[in-house]
Amino acid sequence: MVGSAIKVHPLFATPFAEVRLPACERLNRELATLFLQRETDEHRNPTPSHVPQAETFESRFNLFRWTDACVQELRGFMLNAVAQMVMATTSLKAEDLARLTFQNHTWFHISRYAGSFVAHNHPLASWSAVYCVRAGESVPQHPDSGVLRFLDVRQGANAYLDPANASLHRAFALTPLEFKLEAGQMVIFPSYVFHEVAPFYGSDTRITVATNCWFA
Amino acid sequence: MSGAPPTVMPILATPLGVASIPDSEQINSALCGLFAQRIAADHRPQRNPLRFSSTDDLMEWPQPPVRQLAHAMLGAVYSMVGSLNEFTEAQLRSFKLEARAWFTVVRTNGSVPAASYPLTSWCAIYCVAAPPLSEDRADSGVVRLYESRLGTMFQDASNSTMRVPYTQSHYVWRPVAGEMVIFPASLTHEIALLRAGGELTLVTARIRFTAPGQQGLGRW
Repeated sequence: MVGSAIKVHPLFATPFAEVRLPACERLNRELATLFLQRETDEHRNPTPSHVPQAETFESRFNLFRWTDACVQELRGFMLNAVAQMVMATTSLKAEDLARLTFQNHTWFHISRYAGSFVAHNHPLASWSAVYCVRAGESVPQHPDSGVLRFLDVRQGANAYLDPANASLHRAFALTPLEFKLEAGQMVIFPSYVFHEVAPFYGSDTRITVATNCWFA
Repeated sequence: MSGAPPTVMPILATPLGVASIPDSEQINSALCGLFAQRIAADHRPQRNPLRFSSTDDLMEWPQPPVRQLAHAMLGAVYSMVGSLNEFTEAQLRSFKLEARAWFTVVRTNGSVPAASYPLTSWCAIYCVAAPPLSEDRADSGVVRLYESRLGTMFQDASNSTMRVPYTQSHYVWRPVAGEMVIFPASLTHEIALLRAGGELTLVTARIRFTAPGQQGLGRW
């Protein structure tokens, strides 16, 4: 094989960000306490879009309107990170974003043994993010317990595999991407990406906060 | 609004076949016994204690109930392929069929993660045994076929509640003993969490056909 080196570009790429909140223990403790206190019918999502299950509590989508200090602290962290993501992936600058109305639907999930969430995406939103308040017990015999799994948006691209495309580097891999979220970790991704939460088999609780964002 | 209503037709459609296997009660009873023996004798580490998956050589087992099932499943796939194409019987029979199949037992709170099958044209799932329905979980143990169209990101009142086959959401097929479902193997699908007591036993087959002279099909 001869010739000049080729340049490989990621075409049709999906932007994906991971960010961690430093020294998150106090905030997560306060959030977990608050969410567990408010795991009630008053705060339950009254119009779930998927089959509700007893093992996963889903709150109303107005979480960031709560005035509790810990919620507002998380709001600042999450929405700032989403704004950073927008600026990192578009030509918009801070002053451009400042002229837009930054809207969000934000809620929390509390999952207990065998709680999961079916694959879905989020129509009418541009960016989504998931923050982990509590990862929950790790269960060795269930290595994928509670993983956040992103499905490949290139549906059918893996239908033909041979040795030359079966083990592509991660950016090009034709496989789902799994995240075992840790407390304080957040992921940001385009809302069109289908994602799901695998069944959680810990004996305690797994708590996450999710947000869908749109700008007008 | 006036005039005749438009003629609406499903374009870009995904074929889904549903078939019943004759004499399934007798076959299923025998299969359950065979599978129990296999599970007892299989000492491979299982990734998940809430489900058991056999090796994928089930189509090669010599036992009569397995041969009956294989014959019925592959016959249904042939029939579906024939109905979707313009092949003559002779053309269809000239194709070399290849299949790998395995059985899966899903226990309460178990599931089978989403998957699709490369180098495979058709996936068939046959239900050997299913527990009673779960009263509080409509999707307990269903085969959930994932939405694969890209037009789901803008929804308003006029397109968010369309009927099957136009609805913009996953499609579910409830396993019933003696029945099977056939769909393109590129379609991502999962077995949803089983909430009912008991066990769900399924046979899954991945199938493809090689036309005379065709090249490019790698090994599974």
